[in-house]
Amino acid sequence: MIQSLKEIWNYRDMIGSLVRRELRGKYEKSVLGFLWAFLGPLFQILIYSVVFTIVFHNNMPNYTMFLMAGMLPWTFFNDSVSQGTSTIIGNSEMVKKIYFPREVLVIAEVLAKMVNMLLSFIVMAAFLIVTGVGFSIQLAVLPLAILVELIFALGLSLIVSALTVYLRDLEYVINVVMMAWVWGTPVMYSMEGINNEMFKTLLYYNPMTAIITNYQYIFYYHLWPRVTSIVHPLIEGIILLIIGNLIFMKCKKRFAEEM
Amino acid sequence: MKQDQIAIDVSHVVKNFRIYKDKSHTFKDRILFHKRNAYTLNPVLNDISFQVKKGEAVGLIGHNGCGKSTTLKLLNKILYPDSGIITMHGKISSLIELGAGFHPDMTGRENIYINATIFGLKKHEIDERLDDIIRFSELEEFIDNPVRTYSSGMYMRLAFSIAINVNAEILLIDEILAVGDANFQKKCFNKLEEIKKGGATIVIVSHSMSQIQSICDRAIWLDKGKIVEDGKAADVCGDYTFAMNQAAIAREQMENAQTGKEVVSNPTLTHPPIYEGRQCCRHAERMGSMRLRFHNIRLLDGKMEESQVFSYGDRMNLSFILAAEKDLGEDENYSFKINIFSNDDGNLCSSFDSKEITGAYFKGIRSQCRFTIEHINLAEGDYFISLQMNLKPGNGNDKEGEMTDSIWHFVDFTIKPDSKLSTGVTAMKNQWYISEGNNNE
Repeated sequence: MIQSLKEIWNYRDMIGSLVRRELRGKYEKSVLGFLWAFLGPLFQILIYSVVFTIVFHNNMPNYTMFLMAGMLPWTFFNDSVSQGTSTIIGNSEMVKKIYFPREVLVIAEVLAKMVNMLLSFIVMAAFLIVTGVGFSIQLAVLPLAILVELIFALGLSLIVSALTVYLRDLEYVINVVMMAWVWGTPVMYSMEGINNEMFKTLLYYNPMTAIITNYQYIFYYHLWPRVTSIVHPLIEGIILLIIGNLIFMKCKKRFAEEM
Repeated sequence: MKQDQIAIDVSHVVKNFRIYKDKSHTFKDRILFHKRNAYTLNPVLNDISFQVKKGEAVGLIGHNGCGKSTTLKLLNKILYPDSGIITMHGKISSLIELGAGFHPDMTGRENIYINATIFGLKKHEIDERLDDIIRFSELEEFIDNPVRTYSSGMYMRLAFSIAINVNAEILLIDEILAVGDANFQKKCFNKLEEIKKGGATIVIVSHSMSQIQSICDRAIWLDKGKIVEDGKAADVCGDYTFAMNQAAIAREQMENAQTGKEVVSNPTLTHPPIYEGRQCCRHAERMGSMRLRFHNIRLLDGKMEESQVFSYGDRMNLSFILAAEKDLGEDENYSFKINIFSNDDGNLCSSFDSKEITGAYFKGIRSQCRFTIEHINLAEGDYFISLQMNLKPGNGNDKEGEMTDSIWHFVDFTIKPDSKLSTGVTAMKNQWYISEGNNNE
């Protein structure tokens, strides 16, 4: 394990150029450039915000900003995992022909999604100023919140990317799971309004609950995230990463043959 | 062999491919049709062991499906062996399939960075080599254009330039030396030579025996996942070519037997020229239907003794037997040609009028013939003789212009030097007349 980590570190320049390739290849030719990375989630946020305020009479102040604070990190996680299913298969030409640590592909994929999120945070900053929500000292722990999410997303991406090589329809399964997961996480509603005990327990055991609420605390509530909501998902993320790595190591030996 | 001199150590490697009866990649199939996941193992490599020394160039040869490309992929860690151990000492670069990982919308320059990092190069290492790579690819003008605008030749040139400039200690090459035009290929060969001189270890898979022999010191011949022969490149390539020819003949004969066609075989193997005379040169090559063939060919001097050394003006005899497979038709018309070539450049030195002979000459199926040159007036040097026999078209036979036997370079002979004669193509008797000096002009 240590040796494979060392090797991945040696290929860090490849990770860098893959991230760049992913981002530039995606946005270079479009007129609005990387804004597209943000426009998709932005319209989603606006639609939800209209529906929740007008149809469901949500009376949260600055609900749009609340949505944004949770939706952007969720998009990072969602894209990492759902597109993670095709990371290895989509690069089958490279995998079949060149040697490099296969983990590099997954790491680059997840990092590219993270950079996307960071870029969209810049746009969100403008919204925070316009709506008067503003910034707070809690931004200091933002890197920690991102790190926790990164580890968790990476662990899960490793698992799904490796297994999809052997089970191609895992992709559709993951899409369904992610669709349900977003509603099982307080992204579009806040924890306070929930009365159903069973649903509360479900939210409590969902690692993404803590990961997303961290962002909401930092951007929307301007409160320090609880220590447990950093430590718990961090431990869960590390366990997931180790399991993910073990599964990946077992699967990767036959990638070239299976594709 | 000392441990620190070994670059590649392959020890008892076994590799099987799974052949699925009906491969399923979905949950539904895996759950509902469990039996579909049954597979048979196709053994590709069966207990392969070899070692490659540092700085050695090794060629892997064998027919399609013998496991040579699989071996290369195992060395490159793209595939993993089912059992056995492969140890590689040194940085590996592979020219297995070029241009994997290129992004069509990015420029040549950007793709150099991406592709070179895939080979494990650091950014500062690429900065150092960037100019070399671009110069080698000869794409200076186009390097800042997106690679989607490149022709396939330009694409391959760029890919090859990156891969070959990685400065690897071990270079794995799979049948890719067909890159670009003749000039670029030559450049690639020169670069390979340079890399080899620089002490790199090279493993090449190729179907071109000439490539293998020109680059490699050693060759390994694989067949059905086993090593057949491992030794000097020239020896192994020779044995392999011979075996392949024989296999081709056997296959052709089998096919012909099935279709009921007349057996047409490779006369060099079914009737080796060496059987037709003791003076046969080992370069001799044979073609033709063997319907009527040369046999017991002897090069004789004026005393009718076998000789391969002559002096100017000697009488030279070439005697042979015409051997027929069966009785020849009376109206069949044959023509002969005996050619003498000079050995230094292989150019035609001398050709003789053809002699015609009809089937009516042959009583039985053998006939003794002799061809005589009264005065051989060739200059000193080395020569060789080729023989050819054709069935002449006409007289209602359907085998129009069929070549019945042709032996290229059957026998060598030498003309002894003579100070009294001119040198060159022909010898001419000559004399110098020089008058004494005269002071009065």
